[in-house]
Amino acid sequence: MAEKKLRVVHYLNQFFGQVGGEEKATAGFVVKEGPVGPGLALQKGLGDRAEIVATVICGDDFFAGNPDKNAEEGLKLVASYQPDLFFAGPAFAGGRYGVACGAMCKAVNGELGIPVITGMYEENPGMDIYRKYAFICKAPNSARGMAEVIGNMTRLAFRLISSEKETRILTQENLPKPEEYNYFSRNLLRNAYCDKSIAERAVEKLVAKLQGKPFESEVNPPRFEKVPPPAPIKDPSKCEIALISDGGLVPKGNPDGLATRSNLKWGAYDIEAIFHEYEVAHAGYFNDHVLARPERLVPFDVMRDLVKEGKIGKLHRTFFSTSGNCTVSKRCGEMGEEMGAEIKKRDVDAAILTST
Amino acid sequence: MRLEIESIDIKDIQAGSKTYGKGGVLYINLKELEELILRDPRIKSVEINLVYPGDKVRILNILDVIQPRCKIDKVGADFPGFIGKMQIAGSGRTRSLRGVAIIVSNPCTNRKENALLDMAGPIAEMSPYGKMRNVIIAPTIAADVKERDFEDAARIAGLKAAIYLARGAEGNPVSEVEVYDLDIPNLDKKSNLPRMACYYQLYSPQFDYLAISDPCFYGTHATHMMPTILHPNEVLDGGVVGWLAIKALDTYSIQNHGVIKELYRHHGRDLIFVGVVCAVANVEPVPRARGACMAANLLKNVLGADGVILMKILGGMPHIDLALTGEECEKVGVKTAIFTQPLTSFGTLADTILFNAQSLDLIITSSATFERTKIPWKPEKFLGGSAQTRIFCPDPITQYAGDPVIDIEEYLLPGVLDCTGSAKVIVKEY
Repeated sequence: MAEKKLRVVHYLNQFFGQVGGEEKATAGFVVKEGPVGPGLALQKGLGDRAEIVATVICGDDFFAGNPDKNAEEGLKLVASYQPDLFFAGPAFAGGRYGVACGAMCKAVNGELGIPVITGMYEENPGMDIYRKYAFICKAPNSARGMAEVIGNMTRLAFRLISSEKETRILTQENLPKPEEYNYFSRNLLRNAYCDKSIAERAVEKLVAKLQGKPFESEVNPPRFEKVPPPAPIKDPSKCEIALISDGGLVPKGNPDGLATRSNLKWGAYDIEAIFHEYEVAHAGYFNDHVLARPERLVPFDVMRDLVKEGKIGKLHRTFFSTSGNCTVSKRCGEMGEEMGAEIKKRDVDAAILTST
Repeated sequence: MRLEIESIDIKDIQAGSKTYGKGGVLYINLKELEELILRDPRIKSVEINLVYPGDKVRILNILDVIQPRCKIDKVGADFPGFIGKMQIAGSGRTRSLRGVAIIVSNPCTNRKENALLDMAGPIAEMSPYGKMRNVIIAPTIAADVKERDFEDAARIAGLKAAIYLARGAEGNPVSEVEVYDLDIPNLDKKSNLPRMACYYQLYSPQFDYLAISDPCFYGTHATHMMPTILHPNEVLDGGVVGWLAIKALDTYSIQNHGVIKELYRHHGRDLIFVGVVCAVANVEPVPRARGACMAANLLKNVLGADGVILMKILGGMPHIDLALTGEECEKVGVKTAIFTQPLTSFGTLADTILFNAQSLDLIITSSATFERTKIPWKPEKFLGGSAQTRIFCPDPITQYAGDPVIDIEEYLLPGVLDCTGSAKVIVKEY
């Protein structure tokens, strides 16, 4: 029996979707049955195995006006065709188009769980925003490279829908190698098998470094910015102070599901209540001391005394908690901004951060 | 100091009425081995099993993996400080069995993060121990013995079993003799080759279970040890053992220390191997600064090193400790290659670096230790635990050893990753 043909939906902007040029960039969604424009080349690449059943088209300005809402709108149109695969673009260097392709891919994959593939130029702003949500094939900055990019996109699509395991990584997931399939890595790190051991690489590279020969570091670290401390508060006795900790103190039952390692969440809890019933969600240190006396992580007792003595105006009743263990610094920064925004709303004058 | 390791390839192990080797087969008198282990009053009973590649067996609660070894030309010199009196390890002749390992399992453990190994399926594919014939030793705790004392007893039982097996293999043909001969005081001073050392972080107290450190250095714990110079042979020959829990490290991997062996291979060819500085990862800033300066000074002004490979033990805090040591080394003119272990599977490689030092320009990824992998494999038999044994996951999910799929971090799979650098693994962006 012949294999069932895969159903494909393709997203294009007004120009490639043959609605019109820049003057039609404000046009809303239209759906055309079958392939359109670059979809013809895509269909050719897909051959008999897959069929573009519909092309969803939207004007770049229209989409960019509200990407989240429009992605939701577009998703409904895509979902109605029950696709097995979703393509967008390629968008090349088109900024609005790139964001639209990325947002559509994110929405479709998030809801339908099917492979989503697009193509962009490396400086397209959509690339960095959406690289972790979509497979974005590398594309030149103009449509002249269309045939090659479409070829890459179809090759990658077939790889993704195959049940092939990636035997070169330890987890054996179906995760094609970015260099081999010419797509932008998706902010994932994987242990991969290597011809040389860790020790062999280390010695070989250090010998080269000592000989003054060129050597290649396996990581090129970022340079972190220096954060200047804010001005001190003038009179603590008139201030309301909040407590924050990354030591993983959470209410019993861990209601927000903070992970003990690589945690990405934070929670806000009533400080009185948490000291009655609590647990620790943190696998980076030995928890027993904190379990016995959580005040040694979060100085609730000392702060209460200082309030009584009039040295501190007020202790804020919400405690902000996260589990800081192997979380990438980028996410730590985001969590700090989120917490900061929340605290600013609350008339709090200062915060004390305690860690492990 | 000269060490000869005489390796015997063991093709099969079988239970026998006495312990001896013949034609590559090691026969083991399990009764005698049991009696040897039960001499320790901290152990109530012990279950010993032989497992083979392809067995549908899952070994749980693994505490350590040990290569069977014994000294041939010295008495009471096996794992000194751990077994018998203190003496310096690393010289003379040592018999070593290949293709067979002792796996110590602690079925009485109350730890949350425990290691496991399968003898078939994906884990057996990933781990060299899954392709060996293994002697599983699972002791149980005697009444009134403290948990940490018992862990120590369990490991000592493993070391005794390792010696017992190696002694039993006497008379088998030696498959290979490796010579580790390094006369550090009389190294070729006129050589133009760069002088290279290894900085070996051998312990981190941050995970100390029940706030007690693991003995891993000549029978004692090393938590308060200042940076110390070791002859590399001391590490290879039983002076240093693994922790009392698998953390991408075990005694077997230390006995075959990746970086030390690699520096030996290059010695006299494109570098002069000048020795090892070992240290622990400090948890406090003041001792950290002290340790970093001391280590850099030992490397520069005592060993006279031009370059150093800075090796990392598991954890985030050791990463910072190691980086500070590296910075001090570069400051005094010792060039560095520094290991890193990305602690997460999300982001870019650059995101995972916890230091901000331009001088540390050669970074080697010694595996993402906390990478999670899903194992879809159903064992038929469990050793050192049962189908109901909890399997650790950092997410708040509950899973058991008998589940059809388990989601586990790779540092808990012995042999898969290796802090000593033997694993052929690199971290890549996907």
